[in-house]
Amino acid sequence: MSKTDFEKDLEVKEPEAREPEAKEPEAKGPEAKGPEAREPEAKEPEDTAAEEPEKAAASEPGPQESASEEKPEADGEQPPDDEGEKAEKAAEDGKEPDDEDGEKKQTKKKEESKTGERPAPPDGKRKAAMALAVVAAVCAAWFGWSWYAAAHDDSLGFSRERDEVLRAGEQAVQNLNTLDHRSLDQGLKLWQDSSTSELYQEIVQGRPQFEKAVRKAQTITSAKVLDAAVTELDQHAGKASVIVGLQITVTPPKGEPAVKKTRLMGQLTRTSTGWKLSALSQAPVGGAG
Amino acid sequence: MTTDTDTAEAEVEAPPAAKRRVPRHRLVLAAAVIVALAAGGLLAFTEKQRGASPSANRALVDAEATAKAVGDVSNALVKVLSYQHGDVAATEKAAAQLLEGKAAGQYRALYGQVKAQAPAQRLTLTTRVVRAGVTRLSGDTAHLLVFLDQVSTRNGKPAGGTAAAQLAITARLRDGQWRITEIRSS
Repeated sequence: MSKTDFEKDLEVKEPEAREPEAKEPEAKGPEAKGPEAREPEAKEPEDTAAEEPEKAAASEPGPQESASEEKPEADGEQPPDDEGEKAEKAAEDGKEPDDEDGEKKQTKKKEESKTGERPAPPDGKRKAAMALAVVAAVCAAWFGWSWYAAAHDDSLGFSRERDEVLRAGEQAVQNLNTLDHRSLDQGLKLWQDSSTSELYQEIVQGRPQFEKAVRKAQTITSAKVLDAAVTELDQHAGKASVIVGLQITVTPPKGEPAVKKTRLMGQLTRTSTGWKLSALSQAPVGGAG
Repeated sequence: MTTDTDTAEAEVEAPPAAKRRVPRHRLVLAAAVIVALAAGGLLAFTEKQRGASPSANRALVDAEATAKAVGDVSNALVKVLSYQHGDVAATEKAAAQLLEGKAAGQYRALYGQVKAQAPAQRLTLTTRVVRAGVTRLSGDTAHLLVFLDQVSTRNGKPAGGTAAAQLAITARLRDGQWRITEIRSS
């Protein structure tokens, strides 16, 4: 689902991204461009302007004409068709003086290139590169933003806490339904560690009688969580509710283990040492629960 | 490509300048490609993260959608798992609307027996949802844990007490209504 949505997004975004690229030639004043492109662009008209009179003096009107036309082309304002023609023209015109005055011109061009002057790149290629760069930048920005948004999303924090409540709830419910008469102290310590507030008080208060009863019965009780769900989570208050489907196996000293399924409702409270059960009861059967 | 060669010819007058121009140009292209690749990599990474992320599960995160799923599924279960010996067709009709896929097939097989016996034995079954929670909610699919009680009566008198059940339900959202696609006893 998200993939197709995402593709749609891309489709919408691409033309958008191209728009500014089409406008660029207009806005290509010395101040409106990135630093990379600004430097040569701003320089070019000056250089050519300074150079062309010399050229004109040294050769026929041809080069001059092409030079005056080259200026706007360098600004990128000419449509590609025009430019192609002009380039050809410039090539024809340019060759003539080259033959006459080739050496002089070449050294001059070398100097120009050293000072950072550069002729306009092929328009199609440049456009493609710019388009790609813009599209890539937009994509990168979008992905970066969505990553950032996902990482700092409130709902991410909430869903993490929900998953933690489920994990802690399942574990605590299982702990509180597990007890081996051979290691009572250890088992009941786990009960206390898994609970807090009212439930903790109940366990502590009922412990002496309970220990006595289990020692007498000599049972081993184990539990397995079949399914569980968080039904409420108040992140602010640090309270949550879970329901747990549990299978309990009670093994008496003699005879077959008894297996039963039970439906439990638990309440959890956030403590400094994690989420703990503050209440646990069986879901009412048949009554008006 | 043709304009490329055309302009290249135009530059014959100044080969050194042309030499310098191409790398610069390619630099932009290379930068664009690198950024595009980086963006693609980031996309793959975020998509992977999103799939595994806890927030892909909207249960409780989207409180409204969660409540709607619980409500629809609870209503559906009560309707589909209750019947009156006088009107077994009503339950069948509800089932046709609220069950889909695997659940619909299972139900048809089961309810065939009910339809045959309930009127003769004057049986009535009432189902009540005790608790329900959404374990997973993403897009149009939901998984729920439902505790429910069933009370049956024969000729108006209690028969067999209350049966407690816990069901794992899979539901699908279609036309703004959650329909049950799978019922599993857990």
